[in-house]
Amino acid sequence: MQEPHDDGDLLVILRHGPHGSSWLKEGLDAALVAAAFGRRVSLLFMGEGVTALIADQQVGALGQKGTAATLEMLEMYDIETLLVEAQGLSRLGLSRDDLMLEVECLSPVALARVLSGHRLVLTF
Amino acid sequence: MLLHIVNRSPATSRVYLQALAGMSPEDRLLLIEDGVQGALPQLVPYYAGLEGRLFALREDLASRGLLGHCDASVQVVDVDGFVILTEEAERTVSWY
Amino acid sequence: MRYAILLMGAPYSDQASHSALRFARALVARGHRLEAVFFYHDGVHNAARLAAPPQDEPHLVDAWASLSSKHQVALQVCIAAALRRGLLDEREAARHGKDGVSVKAPFELTGLGQLVDLGTHCDRLVTFGP
Repeated sequence: MQEPHDDGDLLVILRHGPHGSSWLKEGLDAALVAAAFGRRVSLLFMGEGVTALIADQQVGALGQKGTAATLEMLEMYDIETLLVEAQGLSRLGLSRDDLMLEVECLSPVALARVLSGHRLVLTF
Repeated sequence: MLLHIVNRSPATSRVYLQALAGMSPEDRLLLIEDGVQGALPQLVPYYAGLEGRLFALREDLASRGLLGHCDASVQVVDVDGFVILTEEAERTVSWY
Repeated sequence: MRYAILLMGAPYSDQASHSALRFARALVARGHRLEAVFFYHDGVHNAARLAAPPQDEPHLVDAWASLSSKHQVALQVCIAAALRRGLLDEREAARHGKDGVSVKAPFELTGLGQLVDLGTHCDRLVTFGP
């Protein structure tokens, strides 16, 4: 059965939090460039990646920028589909009220459907 | 149908849970690198429900001395088989 | 089919680079066209021209270069990820006032737009992570 790809051109799956590694930053960079090239981009925050969205993040002790400022720019790049693995949030005892952006929470079934719905999936 | 690729052992990493969460009922899963540990009879229950859709890379099993230890429910493929799996899938998703 | 590979693991630190190279060789042996290998995250270290592994180990940097010349595979290295990690070609070394060059052809420093482009026009993009 052929799955339709009508959800978007690129799904970027972000599975790491801010500051601990460069995965989140480099994943967001790929998303921003794709959006700047006119691709329809969705972000899926999964597992530890949900911590990227926690409100009140600060720069690191050495002035490392982190990623919160980049997340605030997503709307400017027309990246409006922000998806979060519901289990990723609940596992950390977090709710949508703890997050800095409006997101859509995905059940396990919806999550698999999102992967099938994009023409390209990149995991970071 | 998507091909999911996992390179971590379910005994030591939660990455397999992310792969399973991302899989649709017709998707396939290929175990490579340290991921081939998931083909051992003791660990293959982590992938319950994937019978007929679970594959492991022969050369990564062989280099680890695990070729003879693979569960019968896992389909062992060589690197050509890996390429064929990517041909047959619409696209691939890697979990690492 | 037209393929691209995205490699994000550093050579010799984990198996990702070996896996990607094996897969790349198998692809072209089956008659597929491998358009490019895109090196991102720690994968950019695959372009380090000064890598000097022991002679009885696979030389990954040379192996990529040989694959590139035999099968016209572009070796594209994310410039932002590379500069941060000390991987500079002649032009970037001059621009940043450095007296050494750590990347040379057939590896080319390029932008993430190339990755987006590969993802769009290739039939398959396969990622190898650490």
